Amino acid sequence: MSALVKEDTESGFDLQTKLLGGTLLGLGVGLIGLLYGLASGDKSPFLGWLWASSFWLSIAIGLLMLIMIFRIFNSRWTPIVRRQQEHGLAAFPWLGLCLLPLLLVGWVGGDQSGILWTWINPEAQTIEALSVTTVSEDVLHQKKAGYLNLGFFTLRLIAYFGIFCGLSYWLRKVSFNQDKDGDPMWSHMGMKISAAGIPAAALALTFGAFDLFMSLEYQWFSTMYGVWYFASGIRSALAVTIIACFYLSSKKRVLDGIYKQAHQYDLACLSLAFTVFWAYISFSQYFLIYSANIPEETFWYVIREINPNTGEQSGWFWVSMGLIFGHFFFPFLYLLFYQNKVNGPRLVFIVSWILVFHLLDLYWNIIPGREISPGAYVGYEARPVLGTHLIWGLFSFVGIGCLCSWSVVKSFTSQSAEIIPIRDPRILDSLHHHE
Amino acid sequence: MDIKYGISATFNSAKDIYIAAGKVRDKGYNNWECYTPIPIHGLDGQMGYPRSKVPCFTLAGGITGFFTGMLIVWYMNSFDYPLIVGGKPYFSPIFPFPVFYELTILFAAFGTLFGMFFLNRLPRHNHPIFEHKGFGRTGDDRFMIVIEVEDPQFDEQETESFLKDLGGKSVNIIREPID
Repeated sequence: MSALVKEDTESGFDLQTKLLGGTLLGLGVGLIGLLYGLASGDKSPFLGWLWASSFWLSIAIGLLMLIMIFRIFNSRWTPIVRRQQEHGLAAFPWLGLCLLPLLLVGWVGGDQSGILWTWINPEAQTIEALSVTTVSEDVLHQKKAGYLNLGFFTLRLIAYFGIFCGLSYWLRKVSFNQDKDGDPMWSHMGMKISAAGIPAAALALTFGAFDLFMSLEYQWFSTMYGVWYFASGIRSALAVTIIACFYLSSKKRVLDGIYKQAHQYDLACLSLAFTVFWAYISFSQYFLIYSANIPEETFWYVIREINPNTGEQSGWFWVSMGLIFGHFFFPFLYLLFYQNKVNGPRLVFIVSWILVFHLLDLYWNIIPGREISPGAYVGYEARPVLGTHLIWGLFSFVGIGCLCSWSVVKSFTSQSAEIIPIRDPRILDSLHHHE
Repeated sequence: MDIKYGISATFNSAKDIYIAAGKVRDKGYNNWECYTPIPIHGLDGQMGYPRSKVPCFTLAGGITGFFTGMLIVWYMNSFDYPLIVGGKPYFSPIFPFPVFYELTILFAAFGTLFGMFFLNRLPRHNHPIFEHKGFGRTGDDRFMIVIEVEDPQFDEQETESFLKDLGGKSVNIIREPID
């Protein structure tokens, strides 16, 4: 830890202060955007904000799941990596806070309460088949109203973050406490928390993805959606773990000589596995909807491929192709090669690549939607790839990212935990891990 | 009648054979082998073996499988007997993807298995080392290095004394009976 602290203070301008500055700037602009959106009825700042939150939330969820998976398998090689991930869990309460403005608009937004999630406002206009109607008269909402209503939605969000924050708190506590007394009881407790936590967190992230992202177009539904968010989360969490460990194990830093090639190789293998898993899930969702060919499902892909009014390929087509080749084929083929997994800089390159494409994947999932447009042939326009949502989103992205990073750096430098869990019963196995 | 197969030397611990193997490698021998009762991590690297070539067979198998799947679907659904199913095109990479995918996995597995067989020159029914009396104990508590006669550097006296210098116990010449 000392090296990390030393470097931060030496840089003259404290890293945490910088991050807080970034938070203020990013979230300040983002909040101004939200106010502007409320005043003008422009949806794009809200979409941007949700997109930005989804990225950081997916990383935190991935870290949580990985820690619990490592715990429940009582895995031998992971403790030194797990400790770094545990610091990442410090971001959860802040992520909850970041979603609060979106929820508040639902409660106090009045006419604009349905600006992001249309179904919140029963009077909001929506599209049923090809005709414009209001949410309360849309049969597809009537059938879902027992689930998709603001009260229950709020309760669920509180429950999800209760689960995420609670598990994070307890997983950090058992691990950090073990540093002090070395009691193996903490390891057993961690295992029990994980046994209960994996199904709880899996349900929370699945329904969380349904509620936050899938319900943007509430007529559409896919049971794969939660698994897709899980797969993406694990991929990005592994990427962040690999980058952090690579940084921390570089010359004269805290993990120099502790985090070794074998650890990196195993993390890279997991990255490869989840690259395939992501593709499997994403393709299966497309494949089933393509095969069934039901209009209330296919429109979701149609607006991600063509302009529904002219039938011409839209910009989203190229984003889709980018995801197939950039988010699957390239990382998949690249990670097949042994040298690309054991060579630090080469691996960091591809996991950074995965993070960028993960951001694009979320953009592709969250941003496109149907904007009612009375003059248009099908009664609506598909939202374009480039637009103000991207600009607002990037500000929110920086703001939320800085806030989360600040909480993680704070956890790292607070001296509340050792660099590695030195009194974990598995620590020697982890230190002596080899291929 | 018999012919010489090689010279064996035994060691008592994994550490001893690990060190000895490094010296045999440095001496430049090519046709030699270590026999151990347990897997020793890093011994293959110590013996100077490069990474296994099996992944190449896996990749080749996978690619073959992918295109075989494509060929089957294209030939049957689009070329030989064009048939509209479920309003889908005759041929598209989407609806038959499970076929491509399954064949990729299957052929990659074949590539791995048969590639491993091929590189290990398996199956073989016998090995001259089995004739050696001391070989049984390499399944129990002995570690053995065998340098084969085929090695270009092999010289009976020199190799024997080299193995003795390495600390090898019971240095023996292994003979392979032929009829």
